[in-house]
Amino acid sequence: MDIPAIRTEHLTRRFGELVAVEDVNLEVASGQFFGFLGPNGAGKSTTIKMLTGLLAPTSGTMQILGIDFEQQPVDVKRQIGVVPEGMALFGRLTGAEYLNFVGRMYGLDRETAAKRAGELLEFMQLADQPKKLVTDYSHGMQKKLALAAAVIHGPNILFLDEPFEGVDAIAAGTLKSMLQRMIARGATIFLTSHVLEIVERLCSHVAIIHKGRLVAQGSLEELRAGVEAQAASGDGDQLAPGKKLTLEEIFLHTVGGVRSAEQELSWLG
Amino acid sequence: MAGMNAAQVRDQLKAIALVRWEIFLHSLRTTRGTLELFSRIVIGAVITSGGLGGAALLGGFAWYVVSQGSPEFLAFLLWPVFMFWQFFPVMATAFSETLDTSNLLRFPLNYRSYVLVRVVYGALDPATLLGSLWLIAITLGVGIAAPRMFLWTAIVLALFGIFNLLLTQMVFAWVERWLAQRRTREIFAVLFFLAMISLQLIGPMMSRFRPKSASGLVRVGGEVNIAQRVLPPGLAAHSIASMVRGQIGTSLLMFGFVGVYALAILRMLSVRLRAQYRGENLSEVAKSELVKRGDNAVRAGWDVRGVSAPIMAVFEKEFHYLSRSGPMLLTLITPIIMLVVFGIGQGRPGTGFLQRSPDFAFPVGAAYTLLLLTNLVYNNFGADGGGIQFFLVSPARFRQIVVGKNLTHMTVLAGEMVLVWIGVSLLFRRPSLAMTVTTIAGILFAAPLNLAVGNLLSLYAPKKIAFETFGRQRASQVTVLTSFGVQLVVFVLGAAVFVLGRYYRDLWISAGLFLALAVVSFGMYFVVLGRVDGVAQRRREILTGELCKA
Repeated sequence: MDIPAIRTEHLTRRFGELVAVEDVNLEVASGQFFGFLGPNGAGKSTTIKMLTGLLAPTSGTMQILGIDFEQQPVDVKRQIGVVPEGMALFGRLTGAEYLNFVGRMYGLDRETAAKRAGELLEFMQLADQPKKLVTDYSHGMQKKLALAAAVIHGPNILFLDEPFEGVDAIAAGTLKSMLQRMIARGATIFLTSHVLEIVERLCSHVAIIHKGRLVAQGSLEELRAGVEAQAASGDGDQLAPGKKLTLEEIFLHTVGGVRSAEQELSWLG
Repeated sequence: MAGMNAAQVRDQLKAIALVRWEIFLHSLRTTRGTLELFSRIVIGAVITSGGLGGAALLGGFAWYVVSQGSPEFLAFLLWPVFMFWQFFPVMATAFSETLDTSNLLRFPLNYRSYVLVRVVYGALDPATLLGSLWLIAITLGVGIAAPRMFLWTAIVLALFGIFNLLLTQMVFAWVERWLAQRRTREIFAVLFFLAMISLQLIGPMMSRFRPKSASGLVRVGGEVNIAQRVLPPGLAAHSIASMVRGQIGTSLLMFGFVGVYALAILRMLSVRLRAQYRGENLSEVAKSELVKRGDNAVRAGWDVRGVSAPIMAVFEKEFHYLSRSGPMLLTLITPIIMLVVFGIGQGRPGTGFLQRSPDFAFPVGAAYTLLLLTNLVYNNFGADGGGIQFFLVSPARFRQIVVGKNLTHMTVLAGEMVLVWIGVSLLFRRPSLAMTVTTIAGILFAAPLNLAVGNLLSLYAPKKIAFETFGRQRASQVTVLTSFGVQLVVFVLGAAVFVLGRYYRDLWISAGLFLALAVVSFGMYFVVLGRVDGVAQRRREILTGELCKA
């Protein structure tokens, strides 16, 4: 049996009284493009932070490629690439210096780091302004650089927290193209995003977290079938007959979201 | 902004004050916040007691000179106040409370309110508070000696105070502007370097042209007096002195000149603030050259045989950061400036410690260098900001990261010590071999101790700083207080070791003692280094929480 790329058991994280993530049992197979969804404040970022070592779990275990994170954090970190929420850039370096730095921090020799940095800058269309500091990059450029940094060491698993947030269509296209290449190479990608259309197009498998608990997990088809079965049994909202559910609809049915148009803000006119 | 009435502007200002107050209250929710407050109170008490002592002295002196009928000597009081007011914020950025007003720009704040917020916030700076306190003391001193002069002195010194406040703000605003872009920063550095070289000529020139007789001294004193009287401290003193003597016209004229200076400074400040208000972007390379596609060869990183890739990567990154931080570079060359300043007095026996004991110029310069380096050492990750997340997710061990940073600090320290040694040789006299070795041994004791404590404080009390901007580099107050404690220990031990060497008339004893202390200090450093990974893991949430703040 293949070792799952990511496996968590009873993963829980509390902040004082608040339970941000509760008893999450997650399993992501190797080579999957996995979307991790949830409403604001559901626990997505907290989960991804725990999975990447930025946050310690209160209880539960995490295994990455079969390696226990708590026991062998350095071995795990060698296998993964991360684009965290804040992108973790060093603003006072140029793009090339930053990629070089990251490559060497992952143990690449100086020639390899420089070569890959050059190739990544070219691929991400960031090579035009070599003297420009990262702090002067636009948001989209920073996202591309952060992704380039996350893959420079050729990770087996890539964690991306909102990689498409604030990114224009051209940059998003570049990012998607790179991610698909990685999947083709056999890497696993774990991403959170609010842009459900992108997740639907890219991801083969999805998990939905709501109020800290994992409420759905599986392939898109499995999730769709689950919602349809729930509707048929009369537990959920009724569905339009014969219509294939989009991920957005699956998501809204799963978390019980209601779009309220009734509330009025009189002062907005 | 058009459309904002006075009441709305008042509400905006109240809201800004309220939000600062709320931020302060929220900071007390954590143990660290409470410790910060405690440290601030302790440091505040120390500064206040120093300030009150200074106030008593200045007030007493003002009373004396006016009572003795020599009010023109008030200039001797106003010049030190002026110098302190302008130089203290540069020398001690850790104490300077500054506000990044750029985030206010998204609100409909009119320009006047924006300026007001900047200036009022500047008034909370310790230098301004102490300067104001001292001017009040001088006013009281004059008022007690000559009650009829109280009001006029208060008016003149209030204007003088406003001038100082505006000047501090103006200098910071402009220097920040110049240092924000690489090109102007380079020009600034070259000018500064040239100024340093020319300053070195002052000492020999003064020795050469020093007046040989008392009458010569009086003549030079008179010339200096004429020069100082056209500058604001001299003008303010002259204005008060003229009023004491009943020369109302002269007094008003001098007062007017101080006002002209203040207006000119306000105008220069206004140019900057207007640009900031318009939302200028002090982009590093707004006009970067484009390169041809395909020309994307990236230079390989630095390499030193035997040093691991992560340590070298951090070392290189730190040097890039330092080389792009004008304020930090300026801070690092301050020891040389101070040596030059002390060196100018060289040749006038008995005028100061270094003139009496030039042998000690090298250790004093080295100690001062180390002291300034604590700006970097005690907040290792402050300039990394959100980059701390990368350190936490990367497979590099924290001890490697810390060693990379410490290597940078030690390299800078070594480079500066060489410069200080050369400076001392040129300005005073070449330090003896025994003194050189003793000083190096002393640094080998003091530096690892500072690095050990600094590494811990960097993890326990991190504070995000903007490396590239002037005056926004306030360290955590816990760090400031602890750093004081460490420096006190180092100073007392260092002084004791030197005194012992002098007592036995053999500095090599001091060198030996310092080396023995260095062994202990290195031991401490390695013990701390061994624990850094664990501490960083335990405190990762606090580190990211503090350093990733917007």
